[in-house]
Amino acid sequence: MRALRVALAESVPVDLAPELAKRLFFVSSAIAEFDLVAQGGVVNAVDLVISDDVEESAIAVKIGKVVAAEVLTQRPLPPRQVWRSPVTATFVDPFPELLASDTAFVAGEGQVGFGEPLLSLVDYLDARLRSIALGLPRSREFRYPTLLPTSVLDRFGYFGSFPQFAMFVTRLHNDIDVYGDFVERYRAEGHLPDTLFEQCGDKEYCLPPTMCYHTYHQYTGRQLPQEMVVTARGKSFRHESRYHTSMERLWDFTIREIVFLGGEDFATECRNAVMAQAYALLEELELAGFCEVANDHFFGNADTAGKILTQRVMELKFELRVPVAEDRDIAVGSFNLHGRFFGESFGITDSAGSPTASGCVGFGLERLAYAFLCQHGADPAGWPTAVTDRIGDPGAARPHH
Amino acid sequence: MGADSKARIREFVLDNIPETELADDDDIFERGLVRSMFVMQLVVFVEQEFGVQITGDDLRFDHFRSVDRVDELVARKLASV
Repeated sequence: MRALRVALAESVPVDLAPELAKRLFFVSSAIAEFDLVAQGGVVNAVDLVISDDVEESAIAVKIGKVVAAEVLTQRPLPPRQVWRSPVTATFVDPFPELLASDTAFVAGEGQVGFGEPLLSLVDYLDARLRSIALGLPRSREFRYPTLLPTSVLDRFGYFGSFPQFAMFVTRLHNDIDVYGDFVERYRAEGHLPDTLFEQCGDKEYCLPPTMCYHTYHQYTGRQLPQEMVVTARGKSFRHESRYHTSMERLWDFTIREIVFLGGEDFATECRNAVMAQAYALLEELELAGFCEVANDHFFGNADTAGKILTQRVMELKFELRVPVAEDRDIAVGSFNLHGRFFGESFGITDSAGSPTASGCVGFGLERLAYAFLCQHGADPAGWPTAVTDRIGDPGAARPHH
Repeated sequence: MGADSKARIREFVLDNIPETELADDDDIFERGLVRSMFVMQLVVFVEQEFGVQITGDDLRFDHFRSVDRVDELVARKLASV
């Protein structure tokens, strides 16, 4: 590893600095750490820690490409908050304690296993969100398989907008000669062959980046007699290239999703109803936080600037953000409207035969629970009684030593 | 001036929707006449056609909902040039 400063060929206004920051780890897997260097209202360099096997000039070219194509093409829009929690928080870093008490287990990059009392907290938060979902008109719950057919993501151009998140599931191709050759080489070489993927042609399945795609898949080509709501909880996966050791950002995480299918007014009303109830829940949990206009992380695409501007100007996406430290907050939920995009893409129609509109809300359960611990501590004794009264005896939820 | 800019805006919108008639106060997005990405095309159109820059708080959806609203934005931007 070595540290170096890369000057930017074109400087980036500080308003767009977050758009540069969220892309840097995707620029190259050689980038281990970065810091933006700002001076006089612009970012004019990036401090990097990179692996030794790459040329500095090659990294600079890649960064220049992203700055020119995906950052400077964007129009800076002022942040717009639509809600702010009245709670003022103090912060702790709960992760060392979670590890020491054997409550959390780091299984890999962005992968954390956990037990009590975190388990009860996550389940409690999900139960609350689930009841918000089931309180909406004509709401039903489903449990989906984890795997999602690749054709579902292909159907609406996911890979053209979010290539960085995609996770393909493959396996050795089912053919006796493939198995035979593989086993022979594996035994001879004592490790997986370097050319492993040449024997894994199958790419029909992905890991889902979010739950709502299962729902559009479910209703593909169907006419809905009534406007409806679907909720599901399940594992979701987004590869984010670099993970700090905590539960702030996970590669493998759980989403409670709520999907609204109906007219634009129905989708908007449902979304707004969930937003209002989510704010109330945050206040009840005694959490600081806010909700603001946001955009998806489109990447590697000439339409990026247009898509982001459209989302932000039309306020199609809001994020509920909760601080986890004095200087850092994380999104714990997002509230989205899609127009008729998914209705058209999946042939889902209303009772009159027109493509249905949709919207969805997703909550990252581990993130919400982790943000709660950052503000209230890992020990249930310090949690708000509104939570401990409902979870049950906090003593029973304590880890075993 | 106002009538002229409004006509140019109306013509641009009509060129991009399936219908041939449009009232100046019709909400072109609510009527489902255009895809959401059209708001981006409208922003670029206004900037190029009228030589103004649309930034910051001007980039609010309400300013782009109808021919009338776009025209109000254009008039305000031209007055401040």
